[in-house]
Amino acid sequence: MHWRFATAAILGKNRHMPDSNDAALASKLRQIIETIDIANALTDPLTLAIEDLLRVSAAELGSGEASVLIRDGSDGDLRFLAATGEVAGQLLNLKVPAGKGIAGFVMSSGQPMAVSDVGETESFYAEVDKTTGFSTEMILATPLRHDGEMIGVLEYVNRSGVIPHLPFTPEEMDKAALFAEAISSLVNAYESAKLLRDFGDKVLASNGETDFASVREWVADLRNAPEHKEMMDLALLVRSVASRGEAERKMCREVLEAVMRYSDVNGDTSFLKL
Amino acid sequence: MTTPISQGAEHFSTGMSLLRLDSAWRQATGAGVSVAIIDSGIDTAHPDLRGKVVESVEAFLDDKKVSFVPSETGDSAGHGTACAGIVTKLAPDAEVYSIKVLGAGGLGDGQAFLAGLEYAVKKRYRVINLSLGTTKPQFFAPLHDLLDRAYQAGCIVVAAANNLPHPSFPSVFSSSLISVIKSPETDPLNFGFHFGEVIELTAPGVNIRSAWPGGGHRNVTGNSFACPHIVGVIALLLEKHPELTPFQVKSALYAIARENTVQNQNL
Repeated sequence: MHWRFATAAILGKNRHMPDSNDAALASKLRQIIETIDIANALTDPLTLAIEDLLRVSAAELGSGEASVLIRDGSDGDLRFLAATGEVAGQLLNLKVPAGKGIAGFVMSSGQPMAVSDVGETESFYAEVDKTTGFSTEMILATPLRHDGEMIGVLEYVNRSGVIPHLPFTPEEMDKAALFAEAISSLVNAYESAKLLRDFGDKVLASNGETDFASVREWVADLRNAPEHKEMMDLALLVRSVASRGEAERKMCREVLEAVMRYSDVNGDTSFLKL
Repeated sequence: MTTPISQGAEHFSTGMSLLRLDSAWRQATGAGVSVAIIDSGIDTAHPDLRGKVVESVEAFLDDKKVSFVPSETGDSAGHGTACAGIVTKLAPDAEVYSIKVLGAGGLGDGQAFLAGLEYAVKKRYRVINLSLGTTKPQFFAPLHDLLDRAYQAGCIVVAAANNLPHPSFPSVFSSSLISVIKSPETDPLNFGFHFGEVIELTAPGVNIRSAWPGGGHRNVTGNSFACPHIVGVIALLLEKHPELTPFQVKSALYAIARENTVQNQNL
């Protein structure tokens, strides 16, 4: 069955009595959505906490932008996990190949470093800047470690405030190393939560062939769809009405059941359109 | 992070130096001294480095075994070029050998630089610049063994401290290598020595203008840029005194640093 049809079955659109296949699929979809919700409940607060720490530490270091890159696979590649600043959204889609650029060097060497006047031609950051429209002038990068293992890189890019901007100082590099300690713990927790999510995917996939990338995309689309938002508003309204008392709950139920009975008999609800 | 050892330190930290060198090394250029840079590769076409890099090799993983082949991939990160620029600014006639282990596909961090160090020791390069480190305990013993082999072969290994809450090795080993931490000092010959500290040498490492891939230059900061300053100084010493052992080189560095301290106090 196509995912869109399954969506309709779950949401109750074009409602009809589901056959046994529909019921099984709907049950599986509920299972998948619950798993994704649990995984998001684990990872989302962690990425939010990392972003909060990035904001606080960037302010402390007088930097405009901050980001966390984490390992992507086992070959030393990196990907942006969290970022703050004007191009944060674009950075989250970018990957850094092993050993490439300052972040790649810090990841593979374990050595913190700072470079000013980065934004000249022929540099890796010129490529990133071309993608984001940003202009990298200076960068401070320090390793993220957990239990002796390199797990990522913490970067601060550019200075905020009045020009000319001074380079990052050794004292600021020391401060960045302390922030990296705190962020490393959160990144490690995020990676553990992600492992759990991947494990959940595998368990569900073991019952049949399921393309989880498309399922996740579908759930994301669903969550962003106006109809989903309307349903959430409706659910909140119903909860609000129900909280007023027994009489309100009874009336609300009767109204909704009347709408469903009419829809079942007549096959549509066009009379409701204004 | 460094740990002070107070006992006996006063003997070395006050008074005149115990060893005096002639100053001929200050006019040396590093001629005839081989310097290996185990790093991200070197941009050999950079105007500052053209003709100075004798050989470039890079590591690759072949059936779980690390091998080295001639490298034509240059420098993927910029760091190796910056280090080579610092060394050759101090010792323009040193023979530079690039051993690329960072950005080489399929190699883990500790595994990569252990292989690079072993390659450099086998080749018996006199000075080895190691701006890398690891905190993985499984590399502690093999690195210790390899550094002892380097010491016995007369190779002088100079490593950058990482200056992070978790110290990495080999920079925290104290017997068979020289470890360096950055200082705001700008004169490369005016380096310092802190007896009793885990990391004994301090050298310029803040806002150093050095070569960068593509022909340009960057201002760079980090302990890993203090390390090649000491490598350059050692190349000068070895040109004038090629017979020096690693132990004697360390003693000579101490003597020079003491002279620097006394001169700085008299300014």
